[in-house]
Amino acid sequence: MRLEMGTFPVTDIVFGRTTRYDAGRLTVDREAVLAAVRQDPRIATAELEIARPGESVRIWPVRDVIEPRIKVEGPGVCYPGICGRDIATVGEGRTHRLAGMGVVEVSSVNWHDAGGDYVETYLDMSGHYGEMYPYQKLVNLCLVVEPDATLSEEVKNYAVHKAALTVSDQLGEAVRSLTPPEREIFELTPVDPSLPRVIYIWCVHSPQAMSGSPTAFCTATYGLTQLTPPWYLHPNEILDGALTGPYRTAFAMSWTVANNPLLSDLYRRHGRDWNFLGVISLRTEWTTQTEKQLMANQTAKLAQQLGAQGAVVTWDAGGNEFIEVVRSIQACERLGIKTVFLTSEDDATDGAPTMLEPLPEADAIVSTSFFKNVTLAVPEALAVARVIGLPTKTVRRGSTIGLHGGADGALATAGPLPPPWRYDDHYGFGSLSCIE
Amino acid sequence: MISAIYNFALTTGANRVIRGARIEHVCGDPTLSPEKDYAFGMRIVTTALQTLTIAVPGPTLFDPMTPGKT
Repeated sequence: MRLEMGTFPVTDIVFGRTTRYDAGRLTVDREAVLAAVRQDPRIATAELEIARPGESVRIWPVRDVIEPRIKVEGPGVCYPGICGRDIATVGEGRTHRLAGMGVVEVSSVNWHDAGGDYVETYLDMSGHYGEMYPYQKLVNLCLVVEPDATLSEEVKNYAVHKAALTVSDQLGEAVRSLTPPEREIFELTPVDPSLPRVIYIWCVHSPQAMSGSPTAFCTATYGLTQLTPPWYLHPNEILDGALTGPYRTAFAMSWTVANNPLLSDLYRRHGRDWNFLGVISLRTEWTTQTEKQLMANQTAKLAQQLGAQGAVVTWDAGGNEFIEVVRSIQACERLGIKTVFLTSEDDATDGAPTMLEPLPEADAIVSTSFFKNVTLAVPEALAVARVIGLPTKTVRRGSTIGLHGGADGALATAGPLPPPWRYDDHYGFGSLSCIE
Repeated sequence: MISAIYNFALTTGANRVIRGARIEHVCGDPTLSPEKDYAFGMRIVTTALQTLTIAVPGPTLFDPMTPGKT
């Protein structure tokens, strides 16, 4: 499987009469793009706004950030399977991407009615908290979209996400027939057999257990969100969007999945420092001990069958999902596969362990953060000049630290806001140290 | 402690751990009829209450569906 990735860096976005790309400047025909979005009768309202790095702008609620990618040669479409798109196997041929920008999906639609899965992410284009996310460095085209209020929550989710993908597709079409300024070939070529064989075990949340629906909207593999046994994916499939966000944390967006620096480094050092075998993607939030252990066993068995000697493990969730993740590590180690685990830490208040189930086999761990605003007493995010999205934000989690909302906890979006309730850099985008 | 993820309860030091059904319905099973669901839940809760009368040396698992087995 050979993929040529053509990159078109975007340094600015402006609205204009036709959608076109010219030397880093992306002009967007606002009315034409919105007309495409509004073709879906499930969409009630849709607007486009531009947010640039450094501006005093807050975007809320941020459901997803998508990097426009379009299939130019080879089977299928980028971001396959989601919202009814083609499910042909991707990863072959040529793909064009608009780098340095994001299509931001802004909507009041929540993930689902059950559990604690609220849309919590807001994005500041300037200031301390925005700096912690990769999106603040992007030129962002925000789709502020609301669906028909009479639809079910699940249909609303798919309607607004399809709308964001429609915007992404419209922009991608502008570079379909252009020559990319940057090209890179991605291929798992045969390498020196003495190099260590390394697999990436990439654990992603499934909303099935908490929502009670096998089709609830969330992080998807070819559009599927349900609990499934582990998948073996070629990294090219992921570069073409076969694995996508979003989930509730800011680092589980589609943009971060497509740009995962860990995947890039594993791939680029293939043949030099190791033999990269590809990705095992494990769906998490199984709800019995038996199921969790079964998935861990099968993940490790699959890694062993593929010949792995080492595994890098990440996850994108919190709570009980840790069990199948850490037990996959244990199962790998017991089969002789060395593991490295990237994880954020839990709150150690009152002597609690910083990991839900500390196992002795998980002995090589990279901490990607601990972030609890109450414990760390971090200050609020400052007021901003402009808001894209909803004028108020209800604080459901985390401390308001001296900020007083109304009886329903609603605060003005433009005013000072509590810091993000969690900061889970699942894939190592940032370089923020523990002391910072 | 009644828990579907009982190993976690054991490693965190709960003395008496009763195996529950699933995270989303620890003491029930919505696939059963209301009568059978009630009986199923009663069996778990009754097992839990009975274990309070049993001395345990440390974290111990009780399985309501396999009485006598720990």
